[in-house]
Amino acid sequence: MSKTKKLVCVVDDDQSVRRGLGRLFKSAGYTAETFASAEDYLAREIFEGPICLVLDVRMPGVNGPDLQEVLESRGACEQIVFITGHADVPTCTKAMKNGAVDFLLKPFDDGELIEAVKRALERGEEQLRKRRGRREARGLINKLTPREFDVFRFVILGLLNKQIAAELHTAEKTIKVHRGRVMQKLRVTSVPDLVRISQRAGVAPGRNPG
Amino acid sequence: MKTLATPLGLAGLGSRSRTERSDAQFFHRRVGGIALCVFVGYYLGAKVGFALTFRPHPVSVLWPPNAILLAALLLTPVRVWWVILLAAFPAHLAAQLQSNVPPTMIFCWFISNSLEALMGAGCVRYLIDRPVRFDRLGNVGIFVFFAAFLAPFLSSFVDAAFVALNQWGQDSYWQVWRVRFTSNVLAALTLVPLIVTWSADGIGWLGKIRRARFVEAALLLVGLLSVNTIVFYKLGPTADSALLCLPLPFLIWAAVRFGSRGASAAICTFTFLAIWSAGHGYGPFSTRSAEENALSIQMFLIVMSVPLLLLAAVIEERSKGATTLREREERISLAAESANLAFWSINFERKESWMSDKGRAIFNFGPDEPLSRELFLSRVHPEDRNTVDEAIERARPESQTFEIEYRLLRPDGDIRWLISRGRYGHDDRGGVSELIGVAIDITAQVKADLELRLQREEMARMSRVSSMGELTASLAHELNQPLTAIASNVAAGRRFLAQRSPDLAMFKELLDDVAADARRAGDIIHGIHHFVRKSEGVRRAVNLNEIIREVLRLLHSDLLGRGTAIETQLAPSLPSVDANAVQLQQVLLNLLMNSLEAMQATPAAKRRVVISTTCEANSSVTVGVRDYGSGLPKEDLDKVFTHFYSTKPNGMGMGLTVVRSIIEAHGGKLRAENVDVGARFFFTLPVTRKSETREVA
Repeated sequence: MSKTKKLVCVVDDDQSVRRGLGRLFKSAGYTAETFASAEDYLAREIFEGPICLVLDVRMPGVNGPDLQEVLESRGACEQIVFITGHADVPTCTKAMKNGAVDFLLKPFDDGELIEAVKRALERGEEQLRKRRGRREARGLINKLTPREFDVFRFVILGLLNKQIAAELHTAEKTIKVHRGRVMQKLRVTSVPDLVRISQRAGVAPGRNPG
Repeated sequence: MKTLATPLGLAGLGSRSRTERSDAQFFHRRVGGIALCVFVGYYLGAKVGFALTFRPHPVSVLWPPNAILLAALLLTPVRVWWVILLAAFPAHLAAQLQSNVPPTMIFCWFISNSLEALMGAGCVRYLIDRPVRFDRLGNVGIFVFFAAFLAPFLSSFVDAAFVALNQWGQDSYWQVWRVRFTSNVLAALTLVPLIVTWSADGIGWLGKIRRARFVEAALLLVGLLSVNTIVFYKLGPTADSALLCLPLPFLIWAAVRFGSRGASAAICTFTFLAIWSAGHGYGPFSTRSAEENALSIQMFLIVMSVPLLLLAAVIEERSKGATTLREREERISLAAESANLAFWSINFERKESWMSDKGRAIFNFGPDEPLSRELFLSRVHPEDRNTVDEAIERARPESQTFEIEYRLLRPDGDIRWLISRGRYGHDDRGGVSELIGVAIDITAQVKADLELRLQREEMARMSRVSSMGELTASLAHELNQPLTAIASNVAAGRRFLAQRSPDLAMFKELLDDVAADARRAGDIIHGIHHFVRKSEGVRRAVNLNEIIREVLRLLHSDLLGRGTAIETQLAPSLPSVDANAVQLQQVLLNLLMNSLEAMQATPAAKRRVVISTTCEANSSVTVGVRDYGSGLPKEDLDKVFTHFYSTKPNGMGMGLTVVRSIIEAHGGKLRAENVDVGARFFFTLPVTRKSETREVA
């Protein structure tokens, strides 16, 4: 198992199903938690690591697809595997479009379910890694002064100091100083590294449209 | 004469139909005019009468005043007759006083003349229940006999008696009678039809006449005048009397081409010319004494005019009849076209047949193709041919109408639905003379009805099937939960076993869960009974035969599509059973669908389902559904009703389970058996017992 902590959460209104599935995931080496309803799950504190939600479609109260939408709007990184005893095409299509990892029909093959959960966790891990990278890069970039940020954006556009000085109506020398500070603050030594950080943080190169 | 006639004619027309109010208006506005017209007409008529006297004989050959009085009475309502008589009296007085007749005689004559006119008009008005016209044979007959003959005949006795009492003139009683009688008859025949026909309808019709008719009328007048002039004026007294017939063709021409108007006008012209010529000593009627001349010319003219008047009436009646007939035919053919009607007739005696154009189009007959029962039957759909033939044959002995609904199979393969009504016509000897009828094309209605029925049945069928489907889907969902739990637990157990040190306590827990879920699954299946009861509505006494018929109606299109013959052997008087009709429909629907599916491998010609009902000892009713399919697998016979048993690739194995649950909930039994070919499912339900209010479900 990888070093990061992973979690499988089962949300199903049927107790037998919850217990059976909880046991199955434990036997496969996952940490599993079970919830009797969508509301119960939402009440749980947000988990930081990769998380796979095994979600029943038909439940009293907030049903599976509803919970999917709520989580989407919350910006969480849960990966969802739907399970249902009664599949209909529109529900399935909608769930998959909204980013579900799989949609399984009860009763399902345990191998299939474990496989889907594994895929979901991998996807979740990947997403988390990306998110962490962006957070780091943004943290560094936030330390820049507004002037340095402007210079940074022209640099990653590939402009020379002279050109940047013309754009910002200042001396080439000043730009050179700013550039040195940007490299220092972002802890890089080359322009390609600067470009990589900007990509990770999602900063667009060029003039600030405002 | 026209100025006199028009106001009178309009009044006469409305005499029977107008309301009291318009009668009153008529009375006030017209009465003065009428009185004036009668006065002038009577006076002038008397003058003309005096002019038409053969000197030295003092009696007029034709005495118009009486005829004018009669015509006025015929044209006016009875309630104004007294006005007419009152108006005629001064005219009578004025005319007669000029000829030195004593006042008593004048008064007596007026009485006899009025009597004659009243008698004639009264009889005619009594016998003809409508405005008097000369366009019907019957009307002319009544007029000629009662008004022109009988009234003068009777009144002349009175008249002659008055003459004798007053000792006026030298003639004997019978001479007076005879002279007055013939003179009045001729006047009535000559003048009354002329006045009545020309005044009754006003002059509006003249404007609608084509120019050719005017030319023809002018030619006729010229011809009549010239021939009359030649015969009565130019010919010497010794000429051949056969020449008197010369005007006859012109008179007939007038009658045939111009009806009663033409005939009366021609007769009048002819009469006046003949009398005038004879009175002036010309022509064939001037050879003997004045009295003899008068008599013979009167006889000649009377004999000529009666047949002409009758002929004109016949002609007019025929032409009116032809017009009415043509109008009616046009109306009928219009109705026929708009209603998709086909009229037809076959006359066996004349070997003639006729069919409307629309009919020929419907039946696809050629325009001149002779019709026959065989030809007609050849167009009828082969499946309906016998029924139609029998229906026609049945109607043959009595002349009762047959009505049949059948299909036509046209050469182009098009099928049309028709309703035919027809009747055999019989001749005097009781033999069959003709076959007439009408056919209506109802294809559009039938198609619409059929479509509507199919739609309705499909909807009903869908709702039955879907309620069954919903039941099984709901069951499937319920069952999925414990099955999923069991499968997960088992898979988890297997994985734990593969690991080094399985946790035994947890294992025990796991197995307990599996056992509990298995029990739960079993409970759900047993709970189908519960489901059935949950979806159960009100029970009532139902007749299984009716339920079977209803289900067959629902399945009709399915059965057609599968080409399966359905045979019913239903017990005629079946006691009712206490049941939920919808559930029993589901049972039958299920069993029937089962049978149909069992025969998918059977050749279409041998696909057959027999549904039977029997009643045992009035205590239970058995319904059997037998198919001619592959039968049930022998070793599985007892498994058919166990849960989730299915031989069908997509079968859920739920249908028969539900069926059995329903039957058992109704206190009945469901069984299956293999017969020589195929399988038979049958269920038995107890009959309704009167003492039992409701079976406890």
